[in-house]
Amino acid sequence: VEIAAEQSTLTAYLSAETDRMLERVRKSLVQVRNGHHGAGAGILWDADGWVLTNNHVIGHGGRGGNRKVILENGLTYPAQLIAQDEDIDLALLRIDARGLPSALIADARGVKVGQLVFAVGHPWGQLGVVTAGILSALSSAKTRDGKEIPILRTDATLAPGNSGGPLVNAVGGVIGIDTMIVGGDQGVAIPSYLAANFVRETREKSKMASPSAQREGYL
Amino acid sequence: MANNSENNLLASLSDAMVRAVEKADASTVMVNARRRLPASGISYSNDLILTANHVVEREDDITIGFADGSQAPARLAGRDPSSDLALLRLEGHSAVPAERALADARIGQFVFALGRPTLEGIQASLGVVSAVGGPLRFERGGVLEKYLQTDAIPYPGFSGGPLIDADGRIAGVNTSGFAPGNSLAIPVSLAWSVAETLKQYGKIKRGYLGIRSQPVEIPSAAQSRLGRAQTTGLLLISVESDSQAAQGGLMVGDILVGINGSPVEDHDRLMGSLGGETVGKPIAIEVIRGGEPRSVTVTVGERS
Repeated sequence: VEIAAEQSTLTAYLSAETDRMLERVRKSLVQVRNGHHGAGAGILWDADGWVLTNNHVIGHGGRGGNRKVILENGLTYPAQLIAQDEDIDLALLRIDARGLPSALIADARGVKVGQLVFAVGHPWGQLGVVTAGILSALSSAKTRDGKEIPILRTDATLAPGNSGGPLVNAVGGVIGIDTMIVGGDQGVAIPSYLAANFVRETREKSKMASPSAQREGYL
Repeated sequence: MANNSENNLLASLSDAMVRAVEKADASTVMVNARRRLPASGISYSNDLILTANHVVEREDDITIGFADGSQAPARLAGRDPSSDLALLRLEGHSAVPAERALADARIGQFVFALGRPTLEGIQASLGVVSAVGGPLRFERGGVLEKYLQTDAIPYPGFSGGPLIDADGRIAGVNTSGFAPGNSLAIPVSLAWSVAETLKQYGKIKRGYLGIRSQPVEIPSAAQSRLGRAQTTGLLLISVESDSQAAQGGLMVGDILVGINGSPVEDHDRLMGSLGGETVGKPIAIEVIRGGEPRSVTVTVGERS
């Protein structure tokens, strides 16, 4: 009986810790509407309105599309498309807001097969859904022009609407951007260091470095 | 730090899960013995690889791939289609033997299915043991005494790879050969005993009588003459001519009710009574013929 009581304390503690961690992650999760029928997830990359999502979530509306970003608290902002990269299926948006609860970005170079991961997104339009699993493989995929890019594979269930949302580690650090279309595989995420490079290069190119640019360093 | 910290229980759990996978990593190998995607295997000893029988399509020209990216040739040392296991012998290469779990798997325990279908690195999926079942019967007389069912995703090429416990020890051998798409594993105790026999003899001997039968209720009058609480037996519906059964005098219409003093109620009990140790030996088969129990001696043959 004593052993059973200890185990229930352990699982209860784990459960509470998971709950707290995911609450924080959910605050940095947004909905991205592309102005047509499509919607997906996105990540508040920093506190100053930079939002990362999948390129395929953005759709084909060009720079002038009627895109919106909806925060966890329901506030809706028009979004400006800053940059797109079809190869790694990422897009960077900007909304006019400050002091946002930005995501914690982990260095996905240190990830290992077997570690706990959680995907947070809006599968089939259901908001803020969490699925759990492990990192199943460190793999690679070929882009349309034959370039090999590293990918993370997970056994956490992903569905349409997870795209652009975070894959986080046990402490809520973003290790990947949930993306289903690369190579046609399910449960695929783009490593966060590719996303960080993409954001940095975009900012350097556009010379629009924000005062919080130091946040782009790996934590 | 956004990576794992020490005073966080969830992070500690995650780190322990990684260690479990890392522990079994070195003894999980790639088995390239078929035309399509390679499958996986487990180093049973320094020079023997245990894998699933259905992924071994050829006996020579087999390639084994290791965690460090190196590869070595292997050839078939033995196979047992009945339990879907095969043993391969490495040539000129030494493997890191796997560590097996000593306790039987329990329903609800954490497990990882591992595989190495490519040289890109170890692959894993997480689940729990959903059921412990058996025996499972197949066509051609095959029978799996015991199996584990899990909810871990069986990725392509995971057959032959290990199912490991939370400490990274082998709890079973992944197989999809019996029911594709399902996550079944052969429990390590059964797999290791089959492997040991394959290592010595290259095959698993199983007894053969030469009969076809179906389970029937024993007529009540015959039941009382049997003198024990047994309600079913096996009605012989054909006896192969020149078979051991025919030579021993078994006849169509006999109801087989016991072997060597133990009751035989159904096919599973019959299969269980005809293990490899009975091959070539006389056994006492108890039948009901014309309502009367009688005993017939049959020398057991070997199933090919």
